[in-house]
Amino acid sequence: MKAKIFLVAIAVAVLVALPWLVSTPLLNAAVQMLIAALFAMAFSFLCGRAGMLSFGHAAYFGIGAFAAVHAMNAFGGAGLLPTPLLPLVGAGTGLLGGLIAGYFATKRTGVYFAMITLALAELLHALAPHLKGTFGGEAGISSFRMPAWGFTFGSVTEVYFLTLAWVLLCIGLLWLLGLTPLGRLALGLRENGHRLRFLGYNVHALSTLVFAVSAMFAGVAGALQSLNIEAANYVVLEAHVSTSVVLNSFIGGVRVFLGPAIGGAAMTFFGYITADLTRVWLLYQGIIFVLVMMFLPRGLVGELVERFSGGERRSGGTALLDGGWRLAGFAMAAAGCVFLVEFLQRFLSTGYRATATGENWPPIELMGFDWSPGSPLTWLLPAALLAAGLWLLGAANKRAAAQQEALA
Amino acid sequence: MNDTVLKFENVHKSFGPAHIIRDVDLDVHRGERHAVIGPNGAGKSTLFHLCSGQFAPSSGRILLDGEQISGLRPAEVNRRGLARSFQITNIFPGITVHENLRLAVMRKHGLQFSFWRFAGRLSAVNAEVEDLLDRLRLTARAGTLANQLSYSEQRSLEIGMTLASDPKLILLDEPMAGMSQEETDYTADLIREITRGRTLLIVEHDMSVVFALADRISVLVYGEIIATGTPEEIRANAQVKEAYLGEEVAA
Repeated sequence: MKAKIFLVAIAVAVLVALPWLVSTPLLNAAVQMLIAALFAMAFSFLCGRAGMLSFGHAAYFGIGAFAAVHAMNAFGGAGLLPTPLLPLVGAGTGLLGGLIAGYFATKRTGVYFAMITLALAELLHALAPHLKGTFGGEAGISSFRMPAWGFTFGSVTEVYFLTLAWVLLCIGLLWLLGLTPLGRLALGLRENGHRLRFLGYNVHALSTLVFAVSAMFAGVAGALQSLNIEAANYVVLEAHVSTSVVLNSFIGGVRVFLGPAIGGAAMTFFGYITADLTRVWLLYQGIIFVLVMMFLPRGLVGELVERFSGGERRSGGTALLDGGWRLAGFAMAAAGCVFLVEFLQRFLSTGYRATATGENWPPIELMGFDWSPGSPLTWLLPAALLAAGLWLLGAANKRAAAQQEALA
Repeated sequence: MNDTVLKFENVHKSFGPAHIIRDVDLDVHRGERHAVIGPNGAGKSTLFHLCSGQFAPSSGRILLDGEQISGLRPAEVNRRGLARSFQITNIFPGITVHENLRLAVMRKHGLQFSFWRFAGRLSAVNAEVEDLLDRLRLTARAGTLANQLSYSEQRSLEIGMTLASDPKLILLDEPMAGMSQEETDYTADLIREITRGRTLLIVEHDMSVVFALADRISVLVYGEIIATGTPEEIRANAQVKEAYLGEEVAA
């Protein structure tokens, strides 16, 4: 417990010091990471804690985003509330939207629940472009951050601190909420809603409330995004926003408290650094998701917590060594895989097709070298990397398993 | 004085053309341990589902302390003072034993939607949970995940959850199903001990348990109650012998 508090304190300290540590573009990315982290935490309050998998959380993120933009533009641009308090508008509208949608969605469970949330979100997404007054049509709505409380909110740093304060506050509230009767009952919903009913609880009302709380925090995340980019467009209601939050949360681990936040932040960060390097980020996101689900089903943070909380019997040294081998194997396999994907992406692009005529297949530039599609080396190198990496991974896993066995 | 807690009046239940419960009249008296026995498929579990709110009867009424409870939803039935366990273990597997009992206790304290208090600081609730743990002999297992318990411990936990709301009437649906002789004896003891002074309606297949535990027994065959009486009366009843007990108990 003490170690956990210590880790969190360090993380908060680093987050507070960040504006003096990184460049402006990176700080911009950090704002987006914080927003993605909060969104994933909001989603996971519903999915991880209460066991309700929503495929339509873009709706509540979007509702919060649009509400915030309208609030910023209210009274001829003076704003409904001072800028630092605008996320409250996102919270309020998210809560309201969540109460209404949740009332219908939580009448069913499991797949049917997921389908209703998906349908409601798609309904909103389909409707949005037609409601120009509310959602601004194709162009969206833009606005402007007004100075307040002595801050201009003109610099990235000020926006970063505003976002950080709200995200930390919300994550703190979600933590406390988990300790209340409502939070404990949410666990009961996940584990066995049928039993709760026979213990005298109103399961539908309970589910609706948990749904609404989740939507409320998603609304705050949406509002923070509007504050950050000073605009909202109906693309925030798209299905990929809903799916990203699902993928990010599961990659981090929905059942450990900060797992989703770390998943959301990490995936946003990867998206940011690879945005200029690759056109197929979505493919990588998908591959990462599948790999995590196959080999680390508790999510990245979930597995880490498991390792440190007694699952690992071996001494730190040998475990670390194996970790090193695994990492090396993983890096080699990943390099081979990335090479193949990037090469194929360029090879199959229409741009390349236009330059290739008849027997003439010009070489493709990748990582500073020219690679000819006809040369065996081009194909053997990534294949060898992939094979060697996988072999290394397998060998390290076998060794670790044998040692665990010997100690057990 | 025969004070009736639960009363079935002419209760009938059919699923399409299948008549599962036929015109059942049954009184459960306050403070008694009442067992329902009958061959497989006699409708014992359906009888429980009817009075706990899982199903509504096709006709007839079920009264708890004079108030109609048939047709109400499970949560409403529970709040009027009827708690039940299930034939197949029905607990919260992925959370601790303590947490399982706490969820069961909280409802009685009106804690459902409260998000402004910490569950860990509800001293009345936690004291009751500790007390239950003690009576269930599960104190040492309080921090264990419910799905890590042994089968008989899980059954004990479920009985404890039924007790948690301090109900007027407890329904136990085959609490000893699938248990070894040793576990059965243990659980029978536990039930006798923790239901002292309460009203109990129990379905059970193990005849030795039923005859040792129950004050009165009702025999359900093909959806009809063919006899109700003390264990001695049931043992002596020719109709029961013929329909169900056969040599098993007569011997």
